[in-house]
Amino acid sequence: MSSNHEDIKREQIAETVDGWTHNGPFHRRPSFRILILVILFTAFGVWAAVFFTDKIMPSILSSQMKSVHDTIIFFTILAAPVAALVYAIAAYSIYKWGHGHGEQAPPDGPPMRENSLTTSIWLGASTILVVVVLVWGMTALSSENQGQLRPVTIDVYGQQWLWTFKYPGTGVESNQLVVPVGRQIRFVVTSYDVTHGFWPNSLGVQIDANPGFKTYITADPNATGQFAVRCSQLCGLYHAYMDANGKVVTPTQFSSWLVSHGASTTSANAYALGGK
Amino acid sequence: MSTTALLEDTKLGPKAGGLYRHQNFLTGILTGGVAMFLGWLVAHYTVQNNANWGSDMVVTVTMAAWVVGFMAGIGAFNAVFRWMVGHDQDHDDELYAAGVSQGWRRYFKFCTDHKVVGTQYLVLVMSLFAVGGTLAMIIRTQLISPNNHLISPQTYNAVISIHGMIMIIATIIMVSGPWANFILPIQLGAKDMAFPRLNALSLWLVVAAVPPILISLFIGGVDSGWTTYAPLSVQSPPGQDAFAITIITFVVSVTVAGINTITTTMTMRAKGMTMGRLPIFVWGSLVAAGLGLYAMPAFLAAQSMLLTDRVVGTSFFAPAQGGAGWLYENIFWIMGHPEVYVILIPGVAAAMDVASTFSRKPLFGYKIAVGAFFGLGALALMVWAHHMFTTGWAPNLADPWMLTTELISIPTGVFFLVIIGTLWRGSIWTRLPMYWVYLFLWNFIIGGVTGIYLSDVPADQYFHGNMFVTAHFHYTLLGGGMIGATAALCYWFPKMSGKMLNERIGKLAFWVIAIFFQVTYFGMFWEGFQGMPRRIAAYAPYFHSANLIATIGAYGLFLGWVILLYAIIHSWMNGKVAPSNPWQAKSLEWHISSPPPLENFLVDPIVTSDPYTFGEGEPMAPAKQPSPATVGSTEGGAH
Repeated sequence: MSSNHEDIKREQIAETVDGWTHNGPFHRRPSFRILILVILFTAFGVWAAVFFTDKIMPSILSSQMKSVHDTIIFFTILAAPVAALVYAIAAYSIYKWGHGHGEQAPPDGPPMRENSLTTSIWLGASTILVVVVLVWGMTALSSENQGQLRPVTIDVYGQQWLWTFKYPGTGVESNQLVVPVGRQIRFVVTSYDVTHGFWPNSLGVQIDANPGFKTYITADPNATGQFAVRCSQLCGLYHAYMDANGKVVTPTQFSSWLVSHGASTTSANAYALGGK
Repeated sequence: MSTTALLEDTKLGPKAGGLYRHQNFLTGILTGGVAMFLGWLVAHYTVQNNANWGSDMVVTVTMAAWVVGFMAGIGAFNAVFRWMVGHDQDHDDELYAAGVSQGWRRYFKFCTDHKVVGTQYLVLVMSLFAVGGTLAMIIRTQLISPNNHLISPQTYNAVISIHGMIMIIATIIMVSGPWANFILPIQLGAKDMAFPRLNALSLWLVVAAVPPILISLFIGGVDSGWTTYAPLSVQSPPGQDAFAITIITFVVSVTVAGINTITTTMTMRAKGMTMGRLPIFVWGSLVAAGLGLYAMPAFLAAQSMLLTDRVVGTSFFAPAQGGAGWLYENIFWIMGHPEVYVILIPGVAAAMDVASTFSRKPLFGYKIAVGAFFGLGALALMVWAHHMFTTGWAPNLADPWMLTTELISIPTGVFFLVIIGTLWRGSIWTRLPMYWVYLFLWNFIIGGVTGIYLSDVPADQYFHGNMFVTAHFHYTLLGGGMIGATAALCYWFPKMSGKMLNERIGKLAFWVIAIFFQVTYFGMFWEGFQGMPRRIAAYAPYFHSANLIATIGAYGLFLGWVILLYAIIHSWMNGKVAPSNPWQAKSLEWHISSPPPLENFLVDPIVTSDPYTFGEGEPMAPAKQPSPATVGSTEGGAH
């Protein structure tokens, strides 16, 4: 569109605006008040994200769970201003440009059909945000997928409505998931019957247990503590009760736990302390 | 009104309509019932003599017989049959089928008038919401305490599955049913839809599809969620067979309706109604219809394969015989993701039109809004596996799926730009329809932002399959799509019913819904952050407070919808008579009486500009005074 055309349009708008004596706010720039609203809404959004991740989510027991926390906060910092802008303009429009709810429609507003600058900024900003979000996600994903030498492999079996964990080489089989801190854990997951969702929640990883296939996921526990293993895929009657207890312990505790569950001391030590 | 009178008084021949004269909803149910019984009889005795077939066969045949019997009983096949035997319908027959001189009875018949179909759709959608909403209340009541025994786990699974599917059916047709049938042809300047009989067919197919899914609750239920993931669904009780018949019937309906909407838009536009002058609602309906045509058949395929797995022993999804659950999941989500945009886009488009009318401003960025609809539609085809990030299927594809999924935020962002750009410096007329646009903005952005967390594979490994997802998609589909549809309802209610909607009760409903909506899903986000999985009938005690909040919110939300329903029924019966253009809007439907007469326009309208000429002088040429000489342009320069 030629700039000449734009000018004519602007003139037309200015004329129309001048025709409406009651529409004072057209002449004032609303940007300042909207900015205040944006800041307020943004602050609230970020506070909510920090509150939820810090106070509500289960504790961080692995680097993957740390990455979940960071992602939520980082994405909120990116998204909150956009949401805040929409809210601010919406709120401001009622407050400043509201014309009540009479039977008759208020006089027409200015015929602004498009504004290529606003549109370009909006599209540009959302594209940049997408790229940032994507790079963040890909970076986190690739660091999660970095295999370490000699991870601790645990075989996970789902069945209606029970988890079984096997610690290969030690002969230990348990309904409790115990993992050593500081070692990479490689879960090899499958199911005996229908699809289940293996979700050790504080480890921040999740993978389905599919009958007939093995799936893999790695977690890097970095703190000791308790967590819950839940089933995240509807699996029939007692899906709600398909929980297991999980624990991240030190390698020495892990080794003695294995021994107390029937492993020989040699195999337990080789398995639990193998990397060292 | 004179046309109505004219056509209402038209003396049709005594036998006009033929068999149609004796067919209605009741004969449909009776014929369907008889067919159901015969189907059951045949299947039951066949099964007794054949060791390979079981109760699944009986249920499938019985339910399919119901659908065919009901459709035959209501007269869906009459015209086709008459054409086949060389007795094609004459003009009187067609007028009879369109409901001429039948008064209220036409609302219970296989009626080809697009306005009757639209009204029937509206009532059907509200009934489905009532059923789905009641089921939601059962779910929330079950979850009011950690180990509640209100209903058994088996019933609970059935209830959540049917709640999900009924709501999906209702939301898919909530805008494209009532408004794309009632309003869209008038907005184009057409006398009816392109295929009036297919229009009636699409409506009654949905009606036929409802009983099987409700019956499924009483024959063991569906215990695998509305997604019916295999292999669990292969082993489900016979309720799953009835569910599959419902889906297959519904998909045929959506496909037929989609073809009708697209053909109508492409071929039935009035003189001067160029594609560039279409109201944005038409564009939204068009894209959603096209997307539905692509997506829904995949659901038909998934459920048909599941049905043959169960009934005749194929093994598409049975791992023991070489099948794979991942296959089902892929086919399902090839439908499942585009389907959410089929739900969403018409609601967004309607909200845009409402925003323009009540801001007294042209729609901001019309072209880019159309582009966003197409962009979203195109992206929707390439994102399905983000529902499968944690299934273990194709982990190497995580990055590309993440890319396509996150790109969706660009066209979605455009929706916000268009609406806030329209609000910007407008003359905001705060009537009831506009309230819902503000609520739409509020909710849909929360739905959108929470979607970004889910699009990120590492974060999704925490949130997948947990209540966070439930809260997220309720914010988008209920908070975005359905609130947009409610804006459409309040906006077009006067045109459809000829009565004004009671705004005092309507605004009360608005505030109750707006507030309790936030309470309900705030509770669910809380549950999700805490780590509560979806679809569980009992939970650990530390989830209790969040669940209590969600349950209290849900009761309030339900109450809000009941108040709105009361406002609708009350106004429909006793409301103030609506003028032809209560909102002083500019699209064609506001140029004819409320409710519009049969065949809508006395004189074919001639369109000289788009309907967004607020502040630009010359509106669209009035329908009654066609003046081909009128000069206008899409850009609508001031006169």
